[in-house]
Order: sequence, then C-alpha cells, then structure tokens
Amino acid sequence: MTDVTQTSSSRGTPFHIPMWSDANWIVRIALLVGLALIVVALAAPLIAPFDPNDQSLISRLRPPLGFERYKDGFFLGTDELGRDILSRCIYGLRLTFALALAGSIIGLLIGGTLGLLAGIAGGVLEDLVMGMVDIQIAIPFTLIALLILAVMGSSLDVMILVLGVYGWEQYARIVRAEVKKLIQMPFVEAAQAAGATPLRIAFRHILPNVVSPIVVQFTLNFSNIVILESTLSFLGLGVQPPTATLGSMVGIGRDYLPTAPWIVLVPAAAILLLTFAVQILGDWLRDKADVRLRTR
Amino acid sequence: MTKLLATTALASLIATGAFASELTVGAANVSSYLDPGRDHSNVGSQFYYNAFDTLIAKNHDTTDTEWLPGLATEWKLINPTVMELKLREGVKFHNGEDMTADDVVFSLNRMYQADFPPYQVRARDRLGNFEKAEKIDDYTVRITAKRPEPLWETLLNLQQVMIIPLDYTKSLAGDPDKIEHDDYEAFSLKPVGTGPYKVVDFVPGERVVWERFDDFWGEKAPLDKVTVKHMPETASRITSLKTGEADIVTNIAPDQLGLIENDPDMKAAGSATALFHVMIMNVNHPKLKDPRIRQAMSLAIDRDTLNEALWGGKAVVPSTHTLKEFGELYQPELTTFEYNPEKAKELLKEAGYDGFEITYDTAPSYYTNGVLAAQAIMEMWAEVGIEGRVNVQDKWSGSSADMMARNWSNPMYFADPFGSFGVMWAPHGPSESEGRFNTDEDYAKAWEQFRFSGDTELRRAAYAELMERIKQDPPVLPLYRPYESWAMKTNIDWAPKPGHIPYVLDFRAGSIAVN
Repeated sequence: MTDVTQTSSSRGTPFHIPMWSDANWIVRIALLVGLALIVVALAAPLIAPFDPNDQSLISRLRPPLGFERYKDGFFLGTDELGRDILSRCIYGLRLTFALALAGSIIGLLIGGTLGLLAGIAGGVLEDLVMGMVDIQIAIPFTLIALLILAVMGSSLDVMILVLGVYGWEQYARIVRAEVKKLIQMPFVEAAQAAGATPLRIAFRHILPNVVSPIVVQFTLNFSNIVILESTLSFLGLGVQPPTATLGSMVGIGRDYLPTAPWIVLVPAAAILLLTFAVQILGDWLRDKADVRLRTR
Repeated sequence: MTKLLATTALASLIATGAFASELTVGAANVSSYLDPGRDHSNVGSQFYYNAFDTLIAKNHDTTDTEWLPGLATEWKLINPTVMELKLREGVKFHNGEDMTADDVVFSLNRMYQADFPPYQVRARDRLGNFEKAEKIDDYTVRITAKRPEPLWETLLNLQQVMIIPLDYTKSLAGDPDKIEHDDYEAFSLKPVGTGPYKVVDFVPGERVVWERFDDFWGEKAPLDKVTVKHMPETASRITSLKTGEADIVTNIAPDQLGLIENDPDMKAAGSATALFHVMIMNVNHPKLKDPRIRQAMSLAIDRDTLNEALWGGKAVVPSTHTLKEFGELYQPELTTFEYNPEKAKELLKEAGYDGFEITYDTAPSYYTNGVLAAQAIMEMWAEVGIEGRVNVQDKWSGSSADMMARNWSNPMYFADPFGSFGVMWAPHGPSESEGRFNTDEDYAKAWEQFRFSGDTELRRAAYAELMERIKQDPPVLPLYRPYESWAMKTNIDWAPKPGHIPYVLDFRAGSIAVN
C-alpha cells in the first residue's frame, strides 16, 4: 500500500495519475457513476430490453413502474410513439457519449496542434492562431453551431463536426501558454543546445509536459459538449428522428411535460448524472494537477 | 398611503380587464404580414375575419351554404358572365373613409388584374375566371367573368377579395395619388378594413391587437380589445392559460386535451378542421415514376390506427379527398385510398421495388402530430418492406426535384372541391408548377368540367373522374382530417364555427361571449 501513497512524491514526473485512495467520497461516487454509465453505453445492445425505435402506438405515453396505467416490462414508461423510454435512454446515452467523445477528441487535436505550433513557432503564426482563438471566443458558439447546421443540414456527420469545432480554442490557449512557459526551461534550452530539431523538441520534450492540463481541459470540455449536443438536439437541430440522443429525447418530450413528464425527466436525469460525474472528475484532476494546490 | 395603494390596485384591476371585456389570445403562430388578398395560409386565416368584410357574407353557423348580404346588399346576374352588385351605404373604413364603389373596384381589380406578384399567385389559382370590376355609380359595381361562373357567390365570399380602402392604400408609400407595389407592402403592415374590429397594433410574427370599431355598419363587436400574442410552445400556451396571461390559446394537440379537461378553470373547444393532412409524392422522382410504388406507399398506411393513437379517434379518416362542406359535391362513397398492406406488398413486388430508401420530409412543428405521424408511417412502411426515413427540416421541399414524399396540408380555401383539391391540383396549378405532378389533356378536360360546368351532376362526375386519376397515379393522398382544439378559461364561450375556413378566430357579435 505504501506504493500508492508514495505517488504524491512523484511530483516531478510530467503526468501524475491520481488514485482511488486520493479521492474523497464525492469523487468516488462520481467515479462509480461514470464507470457505470460507460458500461451501460458500451453494453447497450445487451442491456436494453427493447429495440429503441420499436413503436407500439396502442401503448403510448404509459407511465413508469409504480404509477397507474403502467405497462408491464416498460419500467420507465413509454414515449409519444409507445417506445420504451429505458431502451431509448440507454441507446441515447450511447450516442450522446460517442458524440461527446468524438467531439472532444477532434477539438483536442485541432486546438492542441495549433496551440503547440503557435507556442513553438511564435511570430506571425502565433498571432494568426491567437487571433482565431479570440474570434472564436468572441462569438457565442451556439450561434456558430446553428449556422453550420442550418447551412449543412443536420446529420450525424455534421453534428460530429460541429461538436468537434467546439472548444478547440480552449485547448489552443492552454497548450500555447504551457509551451511558452516550458520553452524557457533549462531542459529545453539544453535540448536546443544539443542540436535537437524543433519537431523533436515539441514532441519529445514539451508535449509530455502539457498532458496534464490537457487531460483536465478534456474532462471539462467533455461535459460541455454533452450539454451542447443536448441543446442542439433540444432545438431540433441534432440527430434526425427516430434516432434518440439524450438531448433529443428532452427536446421532443417537452410538449408532454405537463401530461407525461417521464419522457423528459428520465433522459434529463441521465444528462445530469453524466455531466455531474465528468465535471467532478475534471475538477478533481485539475486539483491534482495543480502543483500549488497539491502541496497544501 | 394605504388608501392610495388600494385605489391604485382597484384602478389597475379595472384597467386590466376585470370589468372591461378584453381578451388575450395565445397563438402558436402569428402572421408576418396582414393582407387578406395575398394571404392564404393557415396562420393568416386566423386574423382577417374580425377586421375585414366581403361583398357577399355567409352564415357560418352551418356547413350548408347560406349567403347573406355583406358589403353588397343585393346582387344579380345581368347576363351569364356579368354580375351587378348594389353596395351597402354608410359603411366606414377604420380610418374614417366612406366605402364606395371606387374602393370595391380597386380591391377586386388588384386581384383580378394583378400585377403585384403575391396577388398574381392567388389570382391565378382561384380568381382566374374574373376579368374586371367596374364602377357603375358610387354604390353599384359590375363584375365581369371570362366565362359563365358556377361559383359566383363563393368566389365573392373569399378572404382574398375582402374590401380594402383605395385612398388610404394609395397614400401609404411613394406617390400618394398612385397605387404602387410599395403601397401593398405598407398596407400589409398597417391593414385597414371595414370589419367590427380595427387592427391597432401589429408586430409581424409577434402580436396583433384589435379594438372595437364603433362605426361598424353591422352589430357592434362584443369585446373592447383583443391581443393575440405569439406563444410557440404548447406547454407555455397551456401555462399562460393557467396563470391568466392568456384567456384563449390556439392549437392544443389532442394529447394535451386531458390536461385541459381535468382542470376546473379551463375548457377546450375543437372540431375536425376543414383541411386534410396529406402525403404528397413526387411523381417525377426517378425512383418513384412507377405509380405502383406510390400506391403501395399509401396502401401501407393504417390511417385509422394513426387516428386512434395520435388524435384520440377525433380526426376524420375519409376514403377520398372530399369534405362534407362541399354540399352537393360531397362524395364520401368514392374510394380513392385504403389500408391494404397485402396489396401494397404485391404492388411493390410487381414494380420491382429493390429496397431503396424513400425519404419522407416533415417540418419539425408546423403540423400538429406531423413528426409523430411521419415516424409511425415509417413503421407502417417497414411492415410492407418499404425502407423509409424521416427527414425533419423547416425548409419547404415540395418544389425540390429530390423530394420523394412529404407531409403537407391541403386546406379548404372555400367551400367547394375547387377550393380544396382544385386549387392545388389544377392543370398548371401550384403543384404542377413545382414539378412534382403532371397533367395531360384528359386531366385538363375533366378539370374544366369539374370547375366550370353549370350542371352539378356533371361536376360530380368530373370530380369522381379526377379522384380516379389520383388513385391510379397518385401525386397526393389525404391522411386524415385533423382535429384542432382551442383551450380557454371556463368563463369564455367560444368555439370554431362550422361554416368558416380553417383556423378563423371569429370574435364578431354572436360568436363569442365572456361571462
């Protein structure tokens, strides 16, 4: 067990992986919830009791277990076309997860690369990248997303593109700032003096040292993308029906809020759980990654 | 201080309508312009009847045709193509102008001899048989048709030929002594008519405010003021009714009716609206050229189940494109479409359908239950082996060559099959000119007889023939006649009248009471 506690002494290593024992109770809950959601999303076809798109028009709008008019087998009720809410939620979670993951990775790749280049190259390239970052920050992203979806139409590909563009500027800013700081460090100067190429310096010496802030940013960005996807789907600009995502379920169900609230409440709760878990973990990782906080 | 507060409170109570008869209507949609001539939308039809009059009026309490004097007191045919009308004297427009033959001739000719493109569209699709209106004296006009017209009264009772003031319209933009297109544009933002309510405020897409017009020629309006506000969300419309922000709200989906009926402070009124939700199919789409595929697309649809599930059984599922409002031309006995999945499978097989994807477009919220019905239809298609996909978009795809199928509504613009099926599916009419429907000489011949014959039996026969052609090579088939509801506070007595076109908010004397 001493190995585990000793991880705190590995301060000098570039990326420190926090452990279960470092976590307080709320982080542990978040970890468990997050893991459970991942398992559910991955195993959707095995877990879901029904096909998410199977309709039964004669049993629409049935409430969850424990309420009057409950229909056997449909634990969380049925929606406006008599589809099983639980199954749709499970598949919706899977798609929302996939979209958010794809979006976060694309954002990370775009932002991270541009930030790295800007930080190392400096000069005109840096001005250009940072100018684009400023522009992106100045325009509300929902506006950009609505524009792209209005022009290109809503499909899964376009949706991934939109979510991917989201948040790249945050990565770019963080990575560039880290790089600017690192590049003046003695070990980088030493590498330069030893004749290392800029590419080698970037990937061998600098990149490993920015992993930690990137991981933190990734988790924060991830939960924002979940919410963005939900927002766009809520506005009817997301994935086309009958395919369910958590956001589209909330969006379509809102007309039934007074009469059949479960249509909205169940997927809304899933969005809440997912973003809660990821945000808590992100916060925790940030605390762990911050040297000043860690020494306290 | 307390006294002052109490007085103010009392005063504001009176002012907010506790005693005055003021109403607020929460509407799902509000027009972006108000000109009865250019408009024929389901959104616009809500707003004209309160503020405008037609020459010939109609008893709206019944679906039977009963013409009443409107702005004209008498009318007679002086020969088969010329009608002479005596105008009512002492009629004032909302701006104080007297209504005379000049206004009537102007209002009619702006449509009959339209040069403003939005009027031209309406002129072509329903007023094409009218040549001109002429002034005989200040209170007599003559209307000339190109050929004998079987629907004189009907086509003088249209929203599109409601009477508007000449001098006022001229003065709106540009040269005050000339009629220019800009005058029409300006009119559509500041409309003036002769009806019992005047439009005192209009914010396009957001708000219409009517106030009682005290110089109205007929029975005075029962309400002092009506404010129609745009409330796009069903849930917020119902909430506004509950909180007292609105007194009447429009477009309540059947799923919400239980909620209204269970609340002692609210009630609902509704009717099977005089329009069809239809499925249109692009006969010119390369993959849908074989009519058997389009027939199968309809044969697969179990309309009765859609009605039971989505409309609580309150919609009306006919077997052809006909409405009882058509009077003598109503032909419910025709069978133009039916539910027959076995036949659908057979036809698909014969046509060599290879499982290609058929898209079905729908707007996200324009039609009540539109997206739901679309998804249910995809399931029904899947039952017979059609690979369908719903495509939700706000854009009107009916004029696109890529459109395969989509939902639409085919309203009754006036109580005649010409005013419902006829307008949209005329030779060279709106559907053919959008490129998804073809007519030939035989169709045109049948349509001519359907439109112009003076003999009701011949019109019926031609109507049946058109339906048979639609059955054989379908470009459009009805789904059902939807049930539309309005919800209101229990102290209000209002219901849609059976003699109106769809969605009219009729607040004239005898149509609404606040208790």
